Amino acid sequence: MATDAVRAQVAAKWQDSFNRLNRGQPGITGLMALSEAWNIASEFLHPRDLTTTPTQKEPNMSAIKIAFDVLSKSRMLPMILESFLEDMRKQQHLITAEVNTYMSEFENSSDPRVIGRLVHRLVEWYKAWHPAPELGHTILSAYTLSFQTHVFSVLPPSFPRAFKALVTSTLPKLASDEDQEDEEPPDMSVWGSFETLGLVERYESLIASVCYEHIEAYVLEECRGKWSESMLTGLREWMATKVVPWMVYSYARGAKTPDEAKHMLQGVGSRFDFHICKTLCDLRTSEIFDIIIDYPDSLNALNDLRECLQRVDQRAELVSTLRYANKKRLLHPGADTKDILTQYVSIIRCLRIIDPPGVLLFKVADPIRRYLRERSDTIRCIVASLVGDGESGDSLVDENEPIQPLQTAEVEDYADPHWEPEPIDAGPDFRTNKPSDVISTLVSIYDSRDLFVKELQVLLAQRLLATKDGNFEKERRNIEILKVRFGEAALQVCEVMLKDMTDSRRIDQHVQSQKASVIHPTIISRHFWPPLQATNIVMPGQLQEMQESYAKEFTTFKPDKKLSWLPHLGTVHIDVELTDRTVSTQVPPLEAAFIELFLEKDLWTIEDLVAKLGGVDKASALKSLGTWVDLGVLKEEEDFKYRLLETAEAETSGGRAHAPRPAIAEEPLAVVTVQQQQAEQMRVFWKFIEGMLTNLGSLSLDRIQTMLKFAPTYDRNIDQLGAFMEAARREGLVTVQDGMWKLNKK
Amino acid sequence: MKITIRHWHAIAQWRWDIGGTSDHDDADAEDDVCGICRVPYEGCCPACKMPGDDCPLIWGECSHVFHMHCLLKWLGTAASKQQCPMDRRPWVTAERKIAQPVAPAALPSTAPS
Repeated sequence: MATDAVRAQVAAKWQDSFNRLNRGQPGITGLMALSEAWNIASEFLHPRDLTTTPTQKEPNMSAIKIAFDVLSKSRMLPMILESFLEDMRKQQHLITAEVNTYMSEFENSSDPRVIGRLVHRLVEWYKAWHPAPELGHTILSAYTLSFQTHVFSVLPPSFPRAFKALVTSTLPKLASDEDQEDEEPPDMSVWGSFETLGLVERYESLIASVCYEHIEAYVLEECRGKWSESMLTGLREWMATKVVPWMVYSYARGAKTPDEAKHMLQGVGSRFDFHICKTLCDLRTSEIFDIIIDYPDSLNALNDLRECLQRVDQRAELVSTLRYANKKRLLHPGADTKDILTQYVSIIRCLRIIDPPGVLLFKVADPIRRYLRERSDTIRCIVASLVGDGESGDSLVDENEPIQPLQTAEVEDYADPHWEPEPIDAGPDFRTNKPSDVISTLVSIYDSRDLFVKELQVLLAQRLLATKDGNFEKERRNIEILKVRFGEAALQVCEVMLKDMTDSRRIDQHVQSQKASVIHPTIISRHFWPPLQATNIVMPGQLQEMQESYAKEFTTFKPDKKLSWLPHLGTVHIDVELTDRTVSTQVPPLEAAFIELFLEKDLWTIEDLVAKLGGVDKASALKSLGTWVDLGVLKEEEDFKYRLLETAEAETSGGRAHAPRPAIAEEPLAVVTVQQQQAEQMRVFWKFIEGMLTNLGSLSLDRIQTMLKFAPTYDRNIDQLGAFMEAARREGLVTVQDGMWKLNKK
Repeated sequence: MKITIRHWHAIAQWRWDIGGTSDHDDADAEDDVCGICRVPYEGCCPACKMPGDDCPLIWGECSHVFHMHCLLKWLGTAASKQQCPMDRRPWVTAERKIAQPVAPAALPSTAPS
């Protein structure tokens, strides 16, 4: 039951509202006017259906203005706005229907232009429902917000994809798309519509991603495999001429002056520039191995990469990619050591371009160096390239590079005013002042230079002994060059070898002038040559006579000295005159010795031959005899008997397919290689080890190493010893248990 | 059959004719070293770089052989008292003659070990 008080309150409220709406007009005229105004206003604001009401009479703006004034005075504007938005909500199904139509059309055709039309259509709706701007900001923003909210809510999930396609279509075309080029230029007006609908803000990241993808596609297309020219400047130019105008639409709309536009584009522009660098960097990183192979043709690509790496921090990626590529493509048993070395040298050169301090190089080189250390022929390859291999033209060493002494890492000089700290990504072992010279780097693969010098001696010995014309100027020149690198002292031995060669010639000239002889020996100082395989072959017949008479002349010339021959080395130019033919050939002395023996009798067994010469193993005997069989001078009969063919065999047997021996196919390796020398040494040490283990029972590897160090010539490290012991274990000589080695008791 | 050698490029080693050793025991003579510097005779003394005629040997009457430079250096020191470092007999340089190989047995007890 309402009390009087309540009743009074309601009456007061009523009066109040009435007064407000009636605005103090007489009677209810105020109310009437208000109702009129409401109708005009809502009629004006009503969201029309574009599809059905194509034309509409021009609204009478002054009447509408008055109507809104009335409403405003009655503080009815919020109400009318609410009702307008409510109306919009009711009409929204129209837009939804259109959106769906366009979207399904796009689904079918995948033509971004459909989406362009959709966007334009939406703008038409937007404009059609747009309240007059005179109505104030509040209404406008409320309207825009509400419209956009609705549009976004009805856009299907497939819209972002479609929108992306549309944005992409506005970009300048790539070369690969040329064939399907559109006749019409991309419709740039859609950008205005995007702006109106708030799509730019909403899909900002999507637009950026479109641009990123565009840049990526362009970079990959333009730069892949093109290493001979610098790409980065070209790319930046392309960016400036093609992409920036597009960016003006997307990012600098509303800019009034070029300066303003520039300012607006700055942030996004540098992002895209970064992306160019990053994409190029990724591309080059993935290609790095081949780029290095192509060096120096790929110099420009490397310069690009260096510039990109300064902008983009991808050094770690570069290192890991290159390391992986090296492991996969280079450091496997199928690769030639020489190739590995060549590639290593290229890597050194290339990475020095990319990263002068050498941090990258240090990281990449480590596995290669470790691998090369394990290869047995690495030193030989390096040495061969040092002295300039005759057969292969490309030397590891750049001819133009100044010859300089080998450098060794020095202790850092902190007092140096130009001292710089190590680069930030340098590893703990990194040394700034690593030797920069290629040869120094190669030599530093190994801890000691002695190995190189030894190998050099072997190589030099092989070459010198093989020279027939006494022309070894090339070797002399090489030694002079290497002296600069390795130092005078290390190559002293080589110097002696060269001197032996000249001395031999002088002596030979003298001896020949005293008593002419067909024998022209190279007389060597044995302690200065690598160990030569020793034999005690006794030369037969005239060969021995020659040797003896020459040796006698020599002793006359140099009374204090005498000669001892190394009969298995050298070459003999020999004529074998038979009844019906003469065979003229060049053979090793050993083969000459064999045929010489056939002067005594025509039929020999191999055992007799070997016994006669002494110090020949059967294999080399067979090989020597094989030469003469191939030449048709001897004939092999059963039980390793050989018969001299005074007259050539009938064609029937001559027709049998025996492979003609290549004249001097491979020079037998006269000089004991470094490996063989080492093995020989180790045999000596094995005696020590055996003695130790016999006397002391079981010993640890450390103990053995310590004790072996007492031996004067022992220079192995513990790893080498370990490998040796392991080999001994495999042969069943020793056993190991808990790191203790002991002799295997038989 | 007739065999003609046109040209023979041979390889030989030289060694000092120390006397007392003949060709057949070459292998034993392999490691003869100078008693002073312990470098093989065919090597060179520590002061030299070139072996052979540049660093010759010197023979003593006492049958001992050294690198000439080594011995002269030794004799130049006061402690040497002009004695052979091996047997402390006064050092007398032996006359080396080409004829020596003719009578290697003339010095039967002096062959270096």
